[in-house]
Amino acid sequence: MEVLSPTSPAAKTPPARAAAPIAPFGANAPAIKLPLAFILTGVLALLTGVTALVLRPATLSAYHYNQYVIALTHLFVLGWICTIVMGAMYQLVPVALETKLYSEKLALCQFAFHVVGFSGMVCMFWTWNMKSVGHFGSVFAVGIVLFVYNIARTLLRVPNWNVVATAVTAALGWLTFTIIAGLSLAATKCAYALADSDGPATAPKHFLETISGFVGRFDPIGAMHAHAHLGVVGCFTLLIIGISYKLIPMFTLSEVQSRRRAALSVALLNLGLAGAFVTILLRSPWKLAFAAMLVAAVAIYGWELAAILRARKRRALDWGIRYFLTAVGFLLPLSLLALVLSWPALPLTPFTGQLENLYGFLGLVGVITFAMIGMLYKIVPFLVWFGRYSREIGRKKVPALADLYSPRLQAVGYWAYLAGVTATSAGIIAAREIPVRAGCALLLLSVLTFLLNVISMLTHFIKPRIEPLAISSVTTPKLA
Amino acid sequence: MKEITEAEILEVLRQVIDPEIGCNIVDLGLVYNITITGGRVGITMTLTTPGCPMHESIRWGVEQALLQTEGVAEVEVALVWDPPWNPSMMTDVGRAMTGVRTL
Repeated sequence: MEVLSPTSPAAKTPPARAAAPIAPFGANAPAIKLPLAFILTGVLALLTGVTALVLRPATLSAYHYNQYVIALTHLFVLGWICTIVMGAMYQLVPVALETKLYSEKLALCQFAFHVVGFSGMVCMFWTWNMKSVGHFGSVFAVGIVLFVYNIARTLLRVPNWNVVATAVTAALGWLTFTIIAGLSLAATKCAYALADSDGPATAPKHFLETISGFVGRFDPIGAMHAHAHLGVVGCFTLLIIGISYKLIPMFTLSEVQSRRRAALSVALLNLGLAGAFVTILLRSPWKLAFAAMLVAAVAIYGWELAAILRARKRRALDWGIRYFLTAVGFLLPLSLLALVLSWPALPLTPFTGQLENLYGFLGLVGVITFAMIGMLYKIVPFLVWFGRYSREIGRKKVPALADLYSPRLQAVGYWAYLAGVTATSAGIIAAREIPVRAGCALLLLSVLTFLLNVISMLTHFIKPRIEPLAISSVTTPKLA
Repeated sequence: MKEITEAEILEVLRQVIDPEIGCNIVDLGLVYNITITGGRVGITMTLTTPGCPMHESIRWGVEQALLQTEGVAEVEVALVWDPPWNPSMMTDVGRAMTGVRTL
C-alpha cells in the first residue's frame, strides 16, 4: 500500500460540505418503472390464474381442450410467464450483456399492446370468440414485433458475445415463430367459422382460407402441441437456462465450470426443439429421438449447474436460489414424462390424457413458474434497492437486498409451493378434483406470500429505511 | 485542512456495503490499495464478480462516503479485475458475516 501523507489524524466526523454532483451511473439499466410495470402485471395474472384453478379444479383433473383450459393456459403463458420474461429481459439483457436497452419508449409502447392483447385474448378464449381472439392476437403480435425489434437492436450493441447472448437470440427467434404458429392456428379456426357463413368472398377471407388450407394439412392437436413446445421450450426454457448461466454464478459466487458444456446444452436444446416441432406437427415416431435430445440438453444443463454449485464460494443458498433449484429438479419428472408421451403409437386413453395434463402442469407451474418466482426474489429487490437506495449508499446507512423482504414468508411460500405442486400432480394423475383444488389452494397461498413480499419491498419507495452512518472501529485488514 | 490516514479511510469505507452480499466492502476484501496525496484519495478496488449490476452503485458509494469525510477533497476510484477477488481476501469478520468459505 502506498500512503503518501499519513501525517495528521483525520476526522471521523460528518461532512463539512455539500455532496458532490450526481454522477451518471446506472447507465445500462432502464428506468425502474419499466420492468416493475411488467412484473406487477405478471404477478396479477398469476394470482388470477391460480385463483381460477382453485375455483375450477376440473381444468386439470379432466382431459383438456375446452375453452376454459385454453383461456387459462394463455393467461399463464402470456399474462404471467411472457409478461415477466419481457420485463426481466428489458432489465437483465442490458445488465447481463453489458450494454444499453435500444429504446425505453418503444418498450413502454409495447407494454400497452401486450396488456390489451393478452387480456383480450384470454377473455375471448373464455367466451370462445375466435374471431376476436384473432383481433386481440394481432394486437399482441404487434407488441411482440416491438419487443423482438427492441431486444434485437440491443443485442447488436453487445460488446462481448457469449452463451447468454446466443441463448437470448435463439429465444427471440423461437418466440417469433411461436406467435406466427399461434396466429396461424387462430386464423384456421376463423376460416372454419367464415366457411360456415354466407358472406361475400373478400381478400381477408381468401387470406384466412389460404392459411387454413396449409395448416389444415396437419393434425390440429399435433399443431397445437407443436405451437406450445415452441413457446415453452424455445422461448421460456431456453431463456431460463441461458440467463441462469450468468445469474447463478453471480449469486452463489461461482463461475461457469465448462463453457463447452454450457454451449452444448444450449445447442442441443435448439436442435432438439427444431426436430421436436416438426415431428410433433407430423405426429412422426421420430419425435422420441428429438425428445431424447431435449432430455440430453437438460441433463447436460443439470451437470453444469451442479458443477457451478459445487464450486460456489457462498455456502448458504438463499430462498430465491432454492426456489430456482427445486424448479430445475422438476425437470427430471418432466423429462421422464416427455419420453413416455413421445413413445411411438402411444394410445390415447383417459390415463395418458391425464399424463398430458400433468406434463403441461409440471412444465408451466412446476418448472417455469417456480423458477421465475425464485429469480424474481433476486430481481425485484435489486430493482427496488437500485431505485430507492443507489444514490444514498455511502451517504447514509442503507439496507442490503436481503433486508427488503421477509425470509420467513419466503420459506412459507417455498414449502406451500412444493406441497401444492405435489398434491396437484397427484390429483391430476388420479383425475380427482379434491386434491387438485387443495394443491392449487396451497399454490395460491404461496403466490400470496410472494405478493406480500413484493408489496413489502415496494413500501421502501414510500418509507425508506435509511439511517445515519455509524463509524466504528474494527480490525484493520491487511490490503493486497 | 487536516490529512486523513489509511486506517480512517478504511473505517469510512466500512460504511459502504455490497448490497447483494450484505457485507461492507472492506471486510469483504474488495479494497486493494489506497493512495493519499494531500486531500486527494485514490482507491483501487474490485468486486466479487465482473459484470456485477451493482458496480456503479458501489463505486458511487465509495466516492460519496469519502467526499463526506473531512480531509478528503478529491476521490478517484479504479475498478480492477486483476487479481480476481477470492474469499481468502476477506477478513474473519467478513467471513463470519456472510458464510462465504475460503477456497
